[in-house]
Amino acid sequence: MTLVYYVNLAMNGLLQGLVIALVALAINLVFAVGRFPNAATGDYITVGGYAGIGLQALGVGSPVLQGLGAMLASMAVAIAGYLLVFRRLFGRSMVAALIASIGIAFFVRSVLSFFVGHDPYVFKIPITRAIVVGGVRLIPTDLWLGAAALVCLSIALALLFFTPLGRQMRAVADNPELARASGIRARRVMLTLWVLVGAVCGVAGIVLGIRTVVAPEMGWDVLLPGFAAAILGGVGSPAGAVLAGVVLGIAQEISTPFVGFTYKIALSFVVLMVVLVVRPQGLFGTLERVR
Amino acid sequence: MDAYLVAVGIILGIYMLMTLGLNLHFGFTGMINFGQVGFFAIGAYTSALLALAGAPMAVAFAGAVLAAALAALPLGLMALRLRIEYLAIATLGFSEIVRVVIVSEEWLTKGVQGLGGIPRLFASLGVGGNAELAYLGLIALANLAAVLIIRRIVASPFGRLIQAVRDDEEALRALGKDPAGYKVRVFMLGAAFAGLAGAFYAHYLTYITPEQFVPLVTFYVWMAMIMGGAGRIPGAVAGTLILVLFLEGSRFLRDFVPGVSEVEMASLRLAAVGLALILFTLYRPQGLFGGYSK
Repeated sequence: MTLVYYVNLAMNGLLQGLVIALVALAINLVFAVGRFPNAATGDYITVGGYAGIGLQALGVGSPVLQGLGAMLASMAVAIAGYLLVFRRLFGRSMVAALIASIGIAFFVRSVLSFFVGHDPYVFKIPITRAIVVGGVRLIPTDLWLGAAALVCLSIALALLFFTPLGRQMRAVADNPELARASGIRARRVMLTLWVLVGAVCGVAGIVLGIRTVVAPEMGWDVLLPGFAAAILGGVGSPAGAVLAGVVLGIAQEISTPFVGFTYKIALSFVVLMVVLVVRPQGLFGTLERVR
Repeated sequence: MDAYLVAVGIILGIYMLMTLGLNLHFGFTGMINFGQVGFFAIGAYTSALLALAGAPMAVAFAGAVLAAALAALPLGLMALRLRIEYLAIATLGFSEIVRVVIVSEEWLTKGVQGLGGIPRLFASLGVGGNAELAYLGLIALANLAAVLIIRRIVASPFGRLIQAVRDDEEALRALGKDPAGYKVRVFMLGAAFAGLAGAFYAHYLTYITPEQFVPLVTFYVWMAMIMGGAGRIPGAVAGTLILVLFLEGSRFLRDFVPGVSEVEMASLRLAAVGLALILFTLYRPQGLFGGYSK
């Protein structure tokens, strides 16, 4: 019985972990290529959630179409953020981009909360009966959401590792000067980066929104676990960030019976602190030289 | 009207203490502290709990300062090893955890209900009027002391060291100086200022809840520091003045612009903070008055 209980918790955690993995991937990409921690990541996710709700209000019931809308909306915000703010901060200190990203986070959230208020919205998804396999409850909606997140993660990683654009992006992340010297067009790489980040955030927004509720703070609340996973996985290692996100999600859920509901949020912070002290380069990252 | 000005003055003094502390962290030493509200909360709750337990006010205030400084010690030690962007994330996480602890440990903090009936200072002078005036005077003194401490530090060999830490830590190491101890002490001192501000806040409002200690407060303080110009004391003062004028002004604006609800006003305030952070970073990184790197 107890084992089944923990397996159920772990299944819940797996889905939450896939969401954190999406957040961590979005953070990691910007960290590696744009070279700053993007605090607006969470609010790009919130935009995706609201875009899905907006489509639902317009009568679009298909979760796939809602997801595509969410991706487009998050991409639009991410690209706007790059063109209007981050592009102009190129060559400035990392601190400038970090503070500006906080500004973008607040601004995006304020626009959303001004027009749609603070009341949470829910996706009208038909309630499905859980499939019970040996005491382990599998909820079909959750399986679909997990599959969607997995597909998104796989496509993003495949783009990074198996396409010329992905290779260029990794080259810029590795050594911007060398990348430029070998004829890689930085601007195109940056635009691709933000398109990819927006798409990942959009999927995270829709999955998180369907799983819980859509509210102005939904993205900000997953930002810290996302940072923790990105750092645990290692900056510059997108696959590591994804793996760390999944591990963190499962660990959070399994810890709930021991530390209580409120303190499970603290777990990501504890992980963050321990990693920063013990192994700042993360599990799979390479130690970056301090410039 | 006089009473109102005194109230605004008290709030101004509380924010200014936090801004001065943050300025010491970021403006003078280059350490990114995104968790100033955490030290503020620790100060407020420590002082309130001590006073509610019957401790003398002086002990409560001293406890607040000490608790905030001690909470900053492990983060300060981490600051030595971490690149600054990691410190930013770690401090942001720290302040969120402080809030989670306050919400969860109901036996001590009464959780989301909040702590009420916190004793006032100068209670013998009655409520309002002279008592508030005396409180304002005390906060002004605290700010003056903070400014003098910072000036003294900045002018001392220690101060030249911490500014050198900000501008070029490598060169400093090459000269055989070890910035480690200085960084930790500066981090603790700046947090102590926030702790003191928290104590003033708790005994002024007499009622505190975890909701008052959200990250937005940290970024109010950042906005004040950036607007005034990081690394300058007059900048911190001017920036805080603008911040409080903005926070108070937005309350009046609602009386003149009909049809804006309190919730919408909160969104507009958030938008203004966001825009200020973006626009100042883009167009006026040195702030309205100052230069960051001289």
